[in-house]
Amino acid sequence: MPVYKLHYFKSPRRGRAELSRLILSQAGVEFEDIRFAHCEWPAIKPITPFGHVPILEVDGQVLAQSNTIARYLAKRHGLAGKDDWEQALADMYAENIHDLLNAVAVPFTEKNPVKQKEMYQKFMRDVIVPHVAAVEKQLKKNNTGFLVGNELTWADLAYYAYFSDFLEVKFGSAFLKNAPHLKALIDRVKELPNVKKWTEFRDSTYPEDNE
Amino acid sequence: MPQYKLHYFNFRGMAELTRLIFHYAGVAFEDVRFEKSEWPQLKASMPFGQVPVLEVDGKPLSQSYAIARYVARQHGLAGKDDWEQAQVDMYADCIKDFMILGRPVYEEHDPEKQKILMNKFMTDTMIPHMLVIEAQLAKNGGVLVGKDVTWADIACYAFFSFVISKNPDVLNDCPNITALLARVSSHENIKKYLETRPVTEI
Repeated sequence: MPVYKLHYFKSPRRGRAELSRLILSQAGVEFEDIRFAHCEWPAIKPITPFGHVPILEVDGQVLAQSNTIARYLAKRHGLAGKDDWEQALADMYAENIHDLLNAVAVPFTEKNPVKQKEMYQKFMRDVIVPHVAAVEKQLKKNNTGFLVGNELTWADLAYYAYFSDFLEVKFGSAFLKNAPHLKALIDRVKELPNVKKWTEFRDSTYPEDNE
Repeated sequence: MPQYKLHYFNFRGMAELTRLIFHYAGVAFEDVRFEKSEWPQLKASMPFGQVPVLEVDGKPLSQSYAIARYVARQHGLAGKDDWEQAQVDMYADCIKDFMILGRPVYEEHDPEKQKILMNKFMTDTMIPHMLVIEAQLAKNGGVLVGKDVTWADIACYAFFSFVISKNPDVLNDCPNITALLARVSSHENIKKYLETRPVTEI
């Protein structure tokens, strides 16, 4: 087994490294979960390939870009999809989440609370509601309880991480009331033994993440 | 060979990378292009209300980079093992970041505002990343990963050829990126495609 070292900020809330942590945890693979304070960043930045984190060290070689890291780990540990087409579909869903992360970053970083509230409302209405409807349709069509094929892939973990970890915490689950298949998927992933083990460990070890 | 049908607007945008990959690989595909005015009727038929969408024997795939990666992998342009493919993905993601961050800059019509946005974009994003790409090309014999052109190199070509059409001086200090662009554009299939490709603003 290679030595994996995942590097990311201590906070805010989990961010773009969590998907990789979920993939490794679900696959039962050990990794060093390095979290550094923001004041340490100026010293770390120059040694990253593109001046960003997360980065993943694999036996000392470095990989950057959150979805690239997640996809690599998913492929190495049986969570990427059974064939090229399934892998492409899983990629598609992961890219959807990447777009949603970028979209929510805009209101998330707004300092004015009144403006921020407005921006979040617009985001929920214009971005989340249509996307949830579209994913619900695909889940119904696929009819296996998973986004891709008939097994768990990193796509399901990506949707769980985003919808449960961030949106549900921030907005409650009212936005899922018309999406029983998506809600069922999120609940299913939440209860997977290795995911549960990870989230319980994580929530008790890094309480500052729960903001 | 599966039947490929690529749906996008009649401009380069987020579909051009996949079009270039198909042409580079010499693989036939239906290059469906529609006008902006047709989009409202077409939107509902796309799985996530977005394009590009690639139909493979009628099955739809969306997300430009999922599409590009799939087509590249099917036709030997993705990297030869998991690690190389991850390296290729990483450089492709870098180009994607350029496109996402650059879009509001290139779309700004007010020339004064655009100048300010462009300066910030160049300083914060473009120049630091270009130096990394330039260094990697110099270190790796003219391509980003492995021994041959991969879709990351084609993504570089697609993005930087657009950039230098607007700002010709951007690559003045990047001889290796310049050489890569020439290498891709002089490929027989690409040359042929460029001769007949619709001329569009983006």
